[in-house]
Amino acid sequence: MDPLWSNIFRKKLDEDSLTNFLKNLPTFSGLRHKDLRTLEAIVHQRNYKPNELVFEEGDPGSGMYMIRGGSVRIFARLADGGEDELAILESGDFFGETTLTAPAARSASARTMEATELVGLFRSDLLELSERQPSVANNILFGITRVISERLQASSIEIRRLQNQLGEHSSPEGAET
Amino acid sequence: MNNDPVARRGLTRGQVALSFLVLSAGIACGLAIYSSATTLISLFRTASTVLFLPLLLSLVLTFLLEPIVAQLEKLFSRSGSILIVYLLMLGLLTLSALWLLPHWQSFIGNLGTDFPRYTTILTGYLRELLEGLHNRFPVIESYNLPIKFRGWAEQLLAAFLTSTPQSALRIGGLMIIVPLFTFFLLRDGRKIRRACVALAPNRHYEMVHDLSFLISKQLAEFIRGRVLEAIIIGIVVTAGLSVTDMRYAPMFGIFAGVTNLIPYIGPIIGMVPGILIAFVDFGASAQFWWIVILYVIIAQVIIDNFILIPILISRVSNLHPLWVFFAIIVGGKIYGVIGMIIGVPIVSIVKIILLEIRTYRSTFRLPETALISDRHH
Repeated sequence: MDPLWSNIFRKKLDEDSLTNFLKNLPTFSGLRHKDLRTLEAIVHQRNYKPNELVFEEGDPGSGMYMIRGGSVRIFARLADGGEDELAILESGDFFGETTLTAPAARSASARTMEATELVGLFRSDLLELSERQPSVANNILFGITRVISERLQASSIEIRRLQNQLGEHSSPEGAET
Repeated sequence: MNNDPVARRGLTRGQVALSFLVLSAGIACGLAIYSSATTLISLFRTASTVLFLPLLLSLVLTFLLEPIVAQLEKLFSRSGSILIVYLLMLGLLTLSALWLLPHWQSFIGNLGTDFPRYTTILTGYLRELLEGLHNRFPVIESYNLPIKFRGWAEQLLAAFLTSTPQSALRIGGLMIIVPLFTFFLLRDGRKIRRACVALAPNRHYEMVHDLSFLISKQLAEFIRGRVLEAIIIGIVVTAGLSVTDMRYAPMFGIFAGVTNLIPYIGPIIGMVPGILIAFVDFGASAQFWWIVILYVIIAQVIIDNFILIPILISRVSNLHPLWVFFAIIVGGKIYGVIGMIIGVPIVSIVKIILLEIRTYRSTFRLPETALISDRHH
């Protein structure tokens, strides 16, 4: 095939796949095609080298990242300079979503483990979109909120379970002393 | 004593020759870079003088029209909304031109006859004043101020009359270029900003992106506030003068509005011609005092200081008067009268950018995390 033509088709396929990628994320699975197009115009694609810092604990956080390819290590800094690994995220996962709506410092650091492509969605773009096209921004925010609430629910169930466990262990001790 | 022989021993013949070569090569390179840089800089200067003003005006216009376009965009497509805004603007401009044109024509037409009359009367007043002064301070006589004043005034008039067609040509050019630029800035402004921000390295990308958003929001507020303030002052002065027998009220209103863009000095410059002509025409009558009250108390103190500035202009963009004078002097030196008007806003913009970066950094630098990250960098 003519290299010129193959190039054109490749580009088109890539463009399609960003929409596809976004659509396959649980956050945006409920969006219509038109909304996805708008979302595609406000996200930012960034390529990272292996072992590159995405953000550092304490950095001003202004949005979330979705992993389109590669993997990212989330870790906390220890007092002695070591790293305490919190999670390893793969393609399709997202992180940093807590700072999307409320400005706050990053609570953990993130570093790529291999060559990684991240898709960033930032607060300022969403704010701008909510003024221009409120209904689309609404749909996007709804999707994100749904996933965040699911996570919150899961973690509160987990906390309840841990509390119960702690109660079972500590109450006999407390009775003895 | 001890250091010198050591240093001399440290340099062998070869090293001396090498350092000589490196130095001369360095000087040659420096000269080459300098000479090519001067051509580059002159090219850059030409490009910037041609593009600077239209781009700046288009940016201001973009910031002004953006909210209207954003409102319309909820109903129409982006390009469609811009087109609608353009049609509205065209209608508005045509109407104001139709209203203004007769005033402007009579103003220019009468200037040739009126101006000498005004200068004669003013020179007369000046002479009277000087005679009074002369009785007390005999030194002043040697300066012969009235004649000088007269010559200066005539020069001013000549410069104004010759530069009017010239500036009309320039304004005509701007009338074509600025709407064109503004259209593309309105349509693709977001993309252009994204493309610029995308150049930032990964590590600082998020911060640059956030800052660009905050800064452009502040800038939009500042520019909208300033222009709206100027327009309202212009309307108030025009309306106030229309009540009196003052001729060319719209001209003085526009002048007061435009000069109001310059803080501190602008309003004074804006009221001088109006008050002088009122004084010559009406003497120290009730109409004259009404005009003085209109310029000073109604327009400046009540409307501008008590109502408009607290509402429209955030305190962030306030500049120290010294900076205002610097900006006006340097702006005037570089771009003439236009430089005087845009110098202060540009310095304010730089201040807004710096302040925004500082507050952004300090908001997120919690003492604990700052300590930790300092240890690792």
